[in-house]
Amino acid sequence: MSTDFNITSEIHNDVLVMKTDGYVNNTGGEQIVLEFSKHINNISKVVVDLEKSKVVNSIGISYLLEMIETLNQNNGKLYFVNLDPTIEKTFKIMGLFQFAEKADSIDSIIK
Amino acid sequence: MKQNPLVEKLSLQAESFQEAFETLIKCNTFGEITKNFYHLLRGNFLVTNILLLHKASVDAEWKLTGTKGDLKKSDLNYLSHKNQLIIKYYKKRKFDASLVLPLSDSSYLGVLIGHKLDGSDFSVFDKISLQILLQVFASAYNSFLNQQKEKKLIFDLNEKVLQLNNLIDTAIELSRFDKQNVLIELAIERIAVITNASSALVTIKNLDNGRVEDQITFPSLIPSENILKNKFMIESYFEFNSMSYRFVLSEKETRKGTTSFSHLDELLLHAITRQVQASIENEFLLKQSLEKERIQKEMSLAAAIQQTIIPKELPKIEGYELAGINIPSREVGGDYYDCIDLGKGVFAIIMADVAGKGISAALLVSTLNAALYSYLEFNIPVTELADKLNRLIYKSSPPDKYITFFIAILNSKTGELKIVNAGHNPGLISRHDGTLIKMEAGGTGLGMLDLGIPYTGENFILNKGDKLFLYTDGIPEAMNKNEEEYSDKRMIDFFMKNANLAPTKYIKSIVADVKAHVGDADQSDDITSLILKRI
Repeated sequence: MSTDFNITSEIHNDVLVMKTDGYVNNTGGEQIVLEFSKHINNISKVVVDLEKSKVVNSIGISYLLEMIETLNQNNGKLYFVNLDPTIEKTFKIMGLFQFAEKADSIDSIIK
Repeated sequence: MKQNPLVEKLSLQAESFQEAFETLIKCNTFGEITKNFYHLLRGNFLVTNILLLHKASVDAEWKLTGTKGDLKKSDLNYLSHKNQLIIKYYKKRKFDASLVLPLSDSSYLGVLIGHKLDGSDFSVFDKISLQILLQVFASAYNSFLNQQKEKKLIFDLNEKVLQLNNLIDTAIELSRFDKQNVLIELAIERIAVITNASSALVTIKNLDNGRVEDQITFPSLIPSENILKNKFMIESYFEFNSMSYRFVLSEKETRKGTTSFSHLDELLLHAITRQVQASIENEFLLKQSLEKERIQKEMSLAAAIQQTIIPKELPKIEGYELAGINIPSREVGGDYYDCIDLGKGVFAIIMADVAGKGISAALLVSTLNAALYSYLEFNIPVTELADKLNRLIYKSSPPDKYITFFIAILNSKTGELKIVNAGHNPGLISRHDGTLIKMEAGGTGLGMLDLGIPYTGENFILNKGDKLFLYTDGIPEAMNKNEEEYSDKRMIDFFMKNANLAPTKYIKSIVADVKAHVGDADQSDDITSLILKRI
C-alpha cells in the first residue's frame, strides 16, 4: 500500500493537535487513530490539521469516524482545520460534521 | 396467596437484569460488551475466576475476550463442541460451570466460571440468573450487530453518494483544464479516491516510436514499477493523436488490507478515462481552431499589406505598352512588382519575391518598398542601389528570410535598360527577330548574405517590337494535382509564341494557360508577372 503519509502531533493542555501530510487512506487513517490512541486518556479535544492533505478516501474517513465515536463516548470533540474545499464536501456527504466541527484555526481550540 | 420465594427473588432482580441489558447495549465494541459482561457475571455470582472466550465460527480457534486471564489449553476441554447452548455444572473441578452460547452471526461465546468466593455450589437461583444473563448478552449482542449493520449501511450509502458527487465534480473540473498533465494528475487522484485505490498510474506512450513519453503516478512519490507489481489492478486505455493513454488503478483498500476491484470500480475508471479523452480531444480541437483563426487573421492582414503596396495602376510610358498582374494564393506570399516614374522619361521596373509567406513576408515587402522609394530619390547606380537594399534587408530580417529581386532602370527615350538580378528568376527579353535573352547578372537574394561583395549589373537596349517579361516562381512552379510543374520551358515557349500579343492580352493569356495546367489543384503560390513592350 502507499506510504506517502506523515503525521506530527502536539499536546496543548487537554487538546491533541495532529498535523497530517499526504493521502489519508488506510495507512494514513491507521496512523491517525494510532496517534490518537496514545493520548486518549489525557485529552478531551482533538484537532486534525489537514493543510497538507488534499486527498482523503472513504477508508481514511472510516478511521476518522472511529475516532469521533470514541471521543463522543468520552464527551470529547474532534475539530478539523485547514480543510480543502473538496475534502470539506466529502466530510459533509459522509456525515462527519454531525459529530465533529470545522474550526477556523488551531489557536481557536487550544486557547 | 403465598408467592414462590424463587419467583419473588427473581422479580426483585428484574431491575438489575434490565440495567445489565442497558449497560451492554450502550457498548460500541464487542470487547466492551464482553468486558462489561465479565463484570456482570462476577458481581452476580461473586466469583473471582471467569474466562470469556469467543470464536468467529465453528472451526475457528477460541480467543480470550473481555479481560485478560490465564487460559490453559486443557481449559478448552470444558467447552462443548455442540452448536447449541449447553451449560454444564461441576463439583470439585477447576471450574464450577462452563457453557457455549451460539450467537446470531454464527460465532460463539464460551464462558468458564470458577469457584464462588463462599465456596458454595451454584444454586437454582444462580442457574436461572445465569440463563437470564446469557439471554441479556445475546440480545445486547444482536442489538450491537444491528447497530454495526446500520452504521455500515449508512456509510455505504454515503460512500455511493460521495462517488456520484465526485464523479460529477471531477467531470466538471476536468472540462476546465487545458493543460494535459494537470488534467491527468487531477483525474488519477480523483479516481483513486473514488475507488479507494491505494495508488494509480497513467502511462502516455508515443505510438509512432513506442517510446514512453510520460508516467504520472498517484501518490506522486510512488515509483511506477512498484504500482505495476501489485496483485490487484484494473486498467482503462484510449488512443488519440498517435499517443496511447493507459490508466491503471492498483490495490483497492479495505480496513483489513487490500482486495480486488469491483465492477463498479471498473465503470468509474472507464467514466473518468472517457472524460479525460474528451477533454484532451477538445483541447486539441480548440488549439487547432485557434491556430486556424490566427492564420486566417494573419493572412488577411498580409493580403491587405500586399495589396496596398502593389500598384493599382501602372504609369503610362510613351512608346511602350505595360501590363502587370498579381494573383495572391490562399497563403498570401510575398510577391511584389512595381513601375516607378523617376522623371525625365526614366522608370524603375521591379519584380520581387520574399522567401516565406504570411505576415512576415508581407512586412518585408513593405520594408523593401519603402527603402526602394527612398534610395531611388538619390539617382544612384542600380548596382549601388542593390548593395544598399541588401544591407538593409539583411539587418532587418530574420536569417531565414530574404528577397529575390529584379530591377531594371529604363530610359524610355533610348530604350536603355540597366538591370540587376538579385537571385531572382531571369528576366526575359524577346527580340523582334525571335531571339530570347535571359537577364541574370546580379548577385544573391537581398538579405541572404552581407559579405560586402558588390552586385554586378548589365545593360541592354530594348528596341521597337522587343518585349521584356518579368515574373515570379509562382508561374513556372505552379503545380497540378499530379504535382507536375508548369515549368520554365512551357513558360518560355508560351512567351516566345505569344510575344506579339498586346501586354494586357498577353498577361490574361499566360494566366489562363497556367490555370489550365493547375486545374483543380490549389494555387500554391502567388502568380505575379509584368510585361513591357516597346512599340
